[in-house]
Amino acid sequence: MARSTIYAGLEIGTHKICVVVGEAKRDGAIKILGVGQAPSRGVRKGEIVDFEKVQTCVNDALVRAEDRSDVMIRNVFLGVTGAHIESLNNRGRHRLPDDQTEITEDDVEEAKEIARSVSIPQSNVFLHSVTRQYIVDGVEAVRQPIGREGRVLEADYHIIHGIRGRVQNAIRCVREIPLEVEDVVFNPVAAAQVVLTREAKMQGALMIDFGAGTCDYVLYEDGMITASGCVPLGGDHITNDVAMALQIPNGRAERLKVEEGSVLYEEVPEGEMLSIEDDTGLILGEVERAFLNEVMNLRTREILTQVRVRVEEHLGRLGAGVYLTGGVSLMKGVDAVAREVFGTKVTRAGSAPVSGITATFENPQYSAPIGLIRYAQILDSEKPFLSPLKRLGRRMQELLSSVTF
Amino acid sequence: MVEYERSQSRAGADSAGPRICIVGVGGAGSNVLDRITLDRIVEATLVCAHTDVRVLGHSMAPVKVQLGADLMKGIGAGGDPDLGREAALFSRDQIREAVHGHDIIFISAGLGGGTGSGAAPVIAEIAKNTGALVLVVATMPFSFEGRRRLAQAEEALELLQKRADALVLFENNRMGELILPKDGIQKAFSQADQLIAQSLRAVSTLTTTPGLVKLGLDDLTSALANANGRCLFGFGEARGQNRGVEALKKALKSPLIDQGRLLHQAKNLLVHVAGGESLTLVEVEGVMKQLGRHVPDQTHILFGLGVDGKLGDAVAVTLISSLGLNQLNAHASAAPPSEMFQPRAEAPAPVPAPAPAPKRETSSRRNTAAAHAAPAPAPVAPPAPDLLFKAEEIASIPAAAAPAFNGKHTEEYEEVEPQHEEFIEAEQPPEFLHDEPVFEEEHEPVTPPVIEPTPETARIPVRTPAAKELADAARAKESSTLASVVARSVTLQTEHAPQEDMLTFDPPAVPNAPVITAISATTVITRKTSGNEQQTFSLGEEDRGRFKDTEPSIVQGEDLDVPTWMRLKKKLRR
Repeated sequence: MARSTIYAGLEIGTHKICVVVGEAKRDGAIKILGVGQAPSRGVRKGEIVDFEKVQTCVNDALVRAEDRSDVMIRNVFLGVTGAHIESLNNRGRHRLPDDQTEITEDDVEEAKEIARSVSIPQSNVFLHSVTRQYIVDGVEAVRQPIGREGRVLEADYHIIHGIRGRVQNAIRCVREIPLEVEDVVFNPVAAAQVVLTREAKMQGALMIDFGAGTCDYVLYEDGMITASGCVPLGGDHITNDVAMALQIPNGRAERLKVEEGSVLYEEVPEGEMLSIEDDTGLILGEVERAFLNEVMNLRTREILTQVRVRVEEHLGRLGAGVYLTGGVSLMKGVDAVAREVFGTKVTRAGSAPVSGITATFENPQYSAPIGLIRYAQILDSEKPFLSPLKRLGRRMQELLSSVTF
Repeated sequence: MVEYERSQSRAGADSAGPRICIVGVGGAGSNVLDRITLDRIVEATLVCAHTDVRVLGHSMAPVKVQLGADLMKGIGAGGDPDLGREAALFSRDQIREAVHGHDIIFISAGLGGGTGSGAAPVIAEIAKNTGALVLVVATMPFSFEGRRRLAQAEEALELLQKRADALVLFENNRMGELILPKDGIQKAFSQADQLIAQSLRAVSTLTTTPGLVKLGLDDLTSALANANGRCLFGFGEARGQNRGVEALKKALKSPLIDQGRLLHQAKNLLVHVAGGESLTLVEVEGVMKQLGRHVPDQTHILFGLGVDGKLGDAVAVTLISSLGLNQLNAHASAAPPSEMFQPRAEAPAPVPAPAPAPKRETSSRRNTAAAHAAPAPAPVAPPAPDLLFKAEEIASIPAAAAPAFNGKHTEEYEEVEPQHEEFIEAEQPPEFLHDEPVFEEEHEPVTPPVIEPTPETARIPVRTPAAKELADAARAKESSTLASVVARSVTLQTEHAPQEDMLTFDPPAVPNAPVITAISATTVITRKTSGNEQQTFSLGEEDRGRFKDTEPSIVQGEDLDVPTWMRLKKKLRR
């Protein structure tokens, strides 16, 4: 099977909307064919608040991506985030029937079923349930239990769930464009696939996708996903703080933050002034650089502390430290603040190298959308092989459903 | 053998089964009736009793009783239980006519309002005097309906407890947990109605359908026997594979059981498993095993099993139990809103042992004698010593009511009436007097100011003159927008510790000071009454800048959408 598959990932971010088209080869390599990006409107804290605006922006990004990659995009993997998304670990315990000693596929299914039947609020829906490990008679970290001898099989699951309505809203918004949503992926889970290496996951790593609207995190321990979640604070909050401290409009504050801002204020000489210009270049006023930096520092520190609070119990086991990605990770000095907050090694990282137009893609802003492609590839490789006939059948089904739509 | 027993335990040997009557009293009661009519779940005579003609007109119940037609002129009781009671007393003949000749009478009422709280006890008494078994299904008001309604509800509850053979009590607060915060109040109430309707069906089917392992009303009453208890009720129905366990899961999901957590303390638990012809022993065993995990070993499990062709391939599991208030209070986290009121509810007097327990013994006897007119006074008189009601109730009302029923000596009955009213009125004032000190006390803990040293933040003004300038500017000139923003951020942070804000509040700084203090005072009270749940009361909308339309992100009482520097400064000011 030398066939390669083309996937499209769509991330509706608070700052930008990004469509990535990638080709996943059978050998596991990914080639990026094209990227379309558009500034985002109508998204707050990672969640869609204005359908129409978002749809226009997605359309823009989509057209650009199709243009560059020369691919018609019908299906996308949609990345979602939002404060409503939560995660938990659950363990399902299954005792084998007395007359059986070898673990079979059915037993594994049974253990999985028990592990997955965790009670989440009625309004919530499962986004992911990832097998972390199997435990056979108390022996941990079993990857493949089928065929082993054992009495008790436990399946350890990491379950990510979110409020059904909000996830549905994102899907509906994309469907109306119209695009078919192949799967919904929690953003940091996707980003971690390309930001964290296998080694980092084994040693234990915390990846923080510090975006404009939210700060999403995933924590790996011994190669297993252990914690994940979303802090609904992000770069927009930094901008908002600056705007309100300096009494300037948000747009100016954003530019000031990106161009001049830093989160290090201690070394800034006192009295160093910064002039704020409006669009025509007229000087509106002056501000002390140290003051600007401190406002940004306070907020950044607080956001990272919020992440820390949520993963506190796992912090001792981060061999590979913290990986910062996402747009805000480009901010000056953010790694130093993260080091102070977490007390471990901090790496700023974008996506791992992929072939294609690479220059763009090591930029940490694109971790999540590229991660979506990688996620899609992993998902497909796990899918059972479909016979060509069945595949044709499915194709027809899809076609018919798209006609009726 | 089985046949013989069955015919004995049920009223009358006729094959038609016991005659059931469901009386909906007041607005909530008639809503439940409508729900029952719509779902067609119980075969029973439905009687709607209300003071308000408009509600009666809309009601779908076939039998309607307008309470106090002359007295009320078809207008509702307006939240006054005294009016409701009087109205019911005026119409007692019609009520008696409507409920007469039934073996089991359910009375469904929403306590707290006028008609529900006032008329339900009267109706219960009339029903009792017809010789039927009386089961009351009542709802306690939502905590947001206010303290007064709750007081009225508690009062009515006490009266009902003495007259009903069994009392199933639903707390609307708990049912609210079932509902999304976004859902409308309409949905909240209709969900509550649905749950009550379900419980009515479950109770009536489990006591009436022939069972392999039969549960009688005696089992039901013993499951509910608990001094001043609250009913734990769960019902689940499922079909398909694994239906037994699924049904149990659904039953345990009922908000009244709190995911099965409340069952840990139950002394008696009634479990009824019903299914169609296809119900297997393995399924039943699976259900009971699963249930065993939620229930301690010493719990007395009253198990019932029924095969009902109507269920088809579905399996239904019903759980009924009761818990004393103290035990419920131990689960304070489960329902914080209602907790506020519980201590007061217990305060008036240690509520005497409810009537059901002693009456249970007589229930079967009374059932067989259902056709007989008046029961002997002995079973009616509650043997438990009743501190408040003894004189009136035992001596006058039942004694008077019985002859009234027998020989239609209505005058005698009327003679009792004023006495009854007087007594209630006399009882009410102390209730409300008692109310006030508690209310006052709530303010008390607010006063001691707690000033938290914030060492970490203290260095900020030292290092940043600009920030200090900002704060100074805020104090100096009111006109600047920044100043007002800062001022607001200082004064209107309600979350962290509103009481501190109130105390350190500097009136001259902001012109509209009194308004704000008033508002923050109300926030203190609302937060007090609603526990930890309502944390999002934020007045400082402007503080949040571009995030003002979004959901607040509240962590440890702080709205993180408000700029960090503003919050730090607020802490410094304190």
